[in-house]
Amino acid sequence: MTRANGRPKIEVQDVSHWFMQQQTGDEVHALDAVDLTLRQGEFVTVVGPSGCGKTTLLNSIAGFIKPTQGTLLCDGKAIKGPGRDRGVVFQDLAILPWRTVRRNIAHGLEIAKTPKAERDERVAYLITLVGLEGFENHHPHQLSGGMKQRVAVARTWAADPDVILMDEPFAAVDAMTRLTLQEELNRLCLQTGKTVMFITHSVDEAVFLGDRVIAMTARPGRIKEDVKVPVPRAERDWSRYNTDPDLKTVTEHVLSLVRSEHGEQERAQHAEAVQ
Amino acid sequence: MAQVQEGRQAALPAALETERPKGTTSFGSASLGRLKEAARILAPFGVLAVIWWVIKASFDISDNVLVSPWAVITATVELVRVGILTDFIGLSIQRLGGATLIAVFTAVPIGIVLGLNKNVATAFEPFFRFLQNVSGIAWLPLAVVWYGLSNTTILLVIIYTLTLPLGFNTMLGIKTVPPRYAQMCNSLGASRLRVLRDVYIPGALPNIIVGFRLGIGYGWRALIAGEMLAAQGGLGDMIFQARTANLIDQIMAGMIVIGCLYLVMDRLILQPIEDVTVGRWGVLRS
Repeated sequence: MTRANGRPKIEVQDVSHWFMQQQTGDEVHALDAVDLTLRQGEFVTVVGPSGCGKTTLLNSIAGFIKPTQGTLLCDGKAIKGPGRDRGVVFQDLAILPWRTVRRNIAHGLEIAKTPKAERDERVAYLITLVGLEGFENHHPHQLSGGMKQRVAVARTWAADPDVILMDEPFAAVDAMTRLTLQEELNRLCLQTGKTVMFITHSVDEAVFLGDRVIAMTARPGRIKEDVKVPVPRAERDWSRYNTDPDLKTVTEHVLSLVRSEHGEQERAQHAEAVQ
Repeated sequence: MAQVQEGRQAALPAALETERPKGTTSFGSASLGRLKEAARILAPFGVLAVIWWVIKASFDISDNVLVSPWAVITATVELVRVGILTDFIGLSIQRLGGATLIAVFTAVPIGIVLGLNKNVATAFEPFFRFLQNVSGIAWLPLAVVWYGLSNTTILLVIIYTLTLPLGFNTMLGIKTVPPRYAQMCNSLGASRLRVLRDVYIPGALPNIIVGFRLGIGYGWRALIAGEMLAAQGGLGDMIFQARTANLIDQIMAGMIVIGCLYLVMDRLILQPIEDVTVGRWGVLRS
């Protein structure tokens, strides 16, 4: 709630989605009547067991898929497809291997035809912000996982979208780097006041980063509970997180929500296997 | 010196080092290294020439069957002197160049369109494979019926031969580009054309270049065959005409020139292009 001024930025209304699984031909019910509002400047994290439709939800907001049912609004207008007002940080990063760090980060600005001087200035600023000085002219294969992660984040930020959708962006980096990246992301979001939806399956990450944590059910994905996180984001860091009793309570609560869902999912899978 | 050689050997396949190890070697030893490399490439040819010469000398073979290496050299010099060889090389290369230009402007766009549409690509794949096995030369009879013994017939056969590997590899290249990249580009606000320019074409470039190199290789062979039949000048025509007069020395001179020209094209033009794109991209991709 740090910067949330209450104006709804993204509205997900009664969204359900079914899709056909390519290999088996089975129809999958991915999302079921999801209602969710992201307010301006809010950081919302989404947790849930794998396959619970978190990514489907994100892809719908990004405009990559059109859900079978329901309404999706951005600034009150229907979402018709992907657009530069909604930036995405992908789980697999999708950094172009033939572009240097600088040109990957500048990509959105190139597309937006930002004048070169302004573009260079902005890219240089972001490179400093995410700590990639000295690697501007490197290609992605020359970077570590954490550095690639920073490139992906910086690229999305450079294009200056109002909303940023992040799909488990830190899943592939090592634990130590992840802690740093999470703190940096928190700082970056507070500085820029973006509206963020962040998908993760780590409860710690969800509570640490979010103003609110959305816990989802196993497939078909529904919102199980919308949990407010007490401590203002500006005051959070990992040492605070590890000692604050309020945060601890919230984490335990979310963990219990996720674990019960995980159990449900396992039971369902077991039942299926027995059949 | 051995180290320099090794360094270069390693650098070539990786092709990331565009700079030669200049800092570590003086100019003199670098050019000596190049000389050594040239010697290594030429050595097997030298051995072959020696064997050829020994066979010719020791078995007393008639000049109507096999001439000596020396006779081939004099024939080559003579063909150059009267201008036939240079004219015909020019003609053959012009045909290949023209066909390449046409093939690039047709095959690459077709390959892109096919590659972008998964269903169409899957549907067309067997068709492509079928055509790939009906060689350009197999089209010659039909081409002759349609266009007679003409330049058009030759061009048709080379264009066909070039188009297939180029189009097919372009299609494959487009298909290998992760759809994620396009999504990413879309969410940065890119138009379809922009996605094509920023994602699909650079992503497919290594395959396009491979197709190009293959196409030129196949095209060059088809060209010689086409020229033999169509008799409109060119290196193929030259060696086939030499047969009617039983000029073994000219036939062999022509064959050697055909091989050497391709080697030169491949080494000086195609390989460097492939090195800076395929090598680079290939490493970057993994």
